[in-house]
Amino acid sequence: MPAILEVNHLVKNYGSFNAVKGISFEIQSCEIFSLLGPNGAGKTTTISMLSTLYTPTSGDAIVCGYSVTKEPMAVKKCIGVVPQDLALYEDLSARENLNFWGQMYGLYGKTLKIRVDEVLEQIGLLDKAKLKVKTYSGGMKRRVNIGVGLLHKPQLLFMDEPTVGIDPQSRRAILDSVKELNKNGMTVLYTTHYMEEAEELSNRVGIIDHGELIAIGTQDELTKSVGETDTLILHIGEEAVPEILAEEVRKIKGVLKAEVTDHEVSIITPSAEELLALVVSHANHLSIKIRSIEIREPNLEAVFLNLTGRALRD
Amino acid sequence: MKKIIAISIKDTLVRFTSPVEWLFFLILPIIFTLVIGSGSGPSSDNRVKMLVVDQAKNSLSETLITSLQASSSVKIELETLEEATSRLDQKKVAAVLIIPDNFNQESLQKQTAELELRQLPNNTDAMIAHQAIQAVLSRVSSVVDIANSSVARAESLPGIKFESESARQAFFDASLQEAQTLMAKSPNRIIEVQGNTKDSIEFDPRSNASAGQLITWVFIPLIGLSGSFAYERQKGTLRRLLTTPTSKGLFLSGTIIGQVLTAIVQMILLVLFGIFVMKLNWAHAPLALAVMLISSALAAAALGTMLGTFVKTEGQASGLSIMFGMVMALMGGCWYPLELFPQTVQQIVKIFPTTWAMQGLLDVVLRGQGIMAVLPEAGVLIGFAVVFFIIGIMRFKYE
Repeated sequence: MPAILEVNHLVKNYGSFNAVKGISFEIQSCEIFSLLGPNGAGKTTTISMLSTLYTPTSGDAIVCGYSVTKEPMAVKKCIGVVPQDLALYEDLSARENLNFWGQMYGLYGKTLKIRVDEVLEQIGLLDKAKLKVKTYSGGMKRRVNIGVGLLHKPQLLFMDEPTVGIDPQSRRAILDSVKELNKNGMTVLYTTHYMEEAEELSNRVGIIDHGELIAIGTQDELTKSVGETDTLILHIGEEAVPEILAEEVRKIKGVLKAEVTDHEVSIITPSAEELLALVVSHANHLSIKIRSIEIREPNLEAVFLNLTGRALRD
Repeated sequence: MKKIIAISIKDTLVRFTSPVEWLFFLILPIIFTLVIGSGSGPSSDNRVKMLVVDQAKNSLSETLITSLQASSSVKIELETLEEATSRLDQKKVAAVLIIPDNFNQESLQKQTAELELRQLPNNTDAMIAHQAIQAVLSRVSSVVDIANSSVARAESLPGIKFESESARQAFFDASLQEAQTLMAKSPNRIIEVQGNTKDSIEFDPRSNASAGQLITWVFIPLIGLSGSFAYERQKGTLRRLLTTPTSKGLFLSGTIIGQVLTAIVQMILLVLFGIFVMKLNWAHAPLALAVMLISSALAAAALGTMLGTFVKTEGQASGLSIMFGMVMALMGGCWYPLELFPQTVQQIVKIFPTTWAMQGLLDVVLRGQGIMAVLPEAGVLIGFAVVFFIIGIMRFKYE
């Protein structure tokens, strides 16, 4: 299957700050590819370069066969962009917004009307299309925000953290809609810092941190790369100092890593069940109250932790 | 072109979603035009209204009233004491003059005559009425003085002696009559104030208000174009728009053209108001008018585009556009005639596009001139537009 997106050594510098440090990857047609990384990792900067909004400092990307640096207008015709923040005219209705954005994508007349109706149907707002966007709930606004990116039936859809700051129900609806779009043949580049979303949606995942693509592959490939390890997560009381427990736990045989995030201690070990009793004993000895214990099998969080020494939420 | 139209329509829809926008688009400009245009003009009577209660009803009181009626400072109305008092109490007039029944030539000769002037405290109109009465009284007193002098002079001449008091009174009356006649024929003292203007056309507040308010209320939203750019940046819609197959040039063109066209519609509505309601001479040179409206709108829109490179938020843009718009309108002669300003100021304010716009529009509506007369003003405005657009577009921030 041909690559719809080829990223070649893409670099973006702001003065002395290197936001993106020469990343390269490919996305195949009809694939959902997630760029997973914490806030500030360089996800939005990467999408901004791929959508021709920023000019790369060096490197290039080929989108639908066109160079983002040399043929930006051709690239724009082939992509749809769903930005992280709402980018809508809230004083206008959903229909007025879609009408306007459709025209910006080169749709007019009957074609525009048909597509606007189809998108309104698709995002479930056909009956509320005449209401001003500012009267919508946060989830409804997000749906319109996505709908704008779908108007011209793009071959490649960039979705930049589309679920940030919304309720679980709307989040579920958005994830389902991404899967539905992909089922209908759309290729999606999805950025997120939620491991669960990347796991649920993606055919392949690229893990990005500090502007570098530090791992890429299917979920299986990535989890296998860190070995058959479990993650034991201890949620401790707010009065306790988690670093003290992490320090003690690192001394236990069989602990590969122990990292602290807020009031959690994440321990990577080949066998969490065998280690559990010993860890609890250490906590009791240090008078640290454990509020709950969670054992996770190998996942992308563990991959990120293993690769960076930090949790995704850091 | 379709995209430019789409951007223009979208901007218009966004702008007019709030009904308040109509207040600034049409209602306030019309109200201000009417209020400011209702000031004194060449044909209007701006004398201070004063009520007169004539209790004497004699020839002297009639002389006094006739003199007051001829005054250029006060406009009198005869009223009863009750009605006059009532209207003064209601502050409908600033002054009431009461001529008591003992006001006659005898009392005047004996210098015991008294007039009663009731006036509103600390009121300029009342002060004007007071001065007008004093001037008229002085005139009336002079006549009596002349008659008295005539009688005294006659009595001092050898061989002349009045046989009776009635004969003496008859001589006095004849002298008084003669003096009144001569005084009525004598010319008024005229103080001519030469205005600081070379303009041969008389000032017309209605034309001035119509042109001035048009410029004021069109320049402010056009300078506020900077707010549209800030709005698009703040909302993230500009960023999104640039990910669509729409160039930066199309975005700028659509936004600017939309605002300029809206401004031209606004100006046409205000001109129509001037023609049909205020009966002003806007329509005699349509080409000159069109050139002035378009060049003024372009200069203001260009200024807004340039300002858009400096402002970061819509709030900043709103504040600055009102401030710049008002200051430039005031200094450009849109609210007061430029001729009231000192010569130096009249030269300095030529740096404002409002000054040129105002002069060009006055050429059309007040001076009745055509296209050739407005070309210099239109040329300067287009010059402003070119310079401001170049700076604004080159420095435009898309992020």
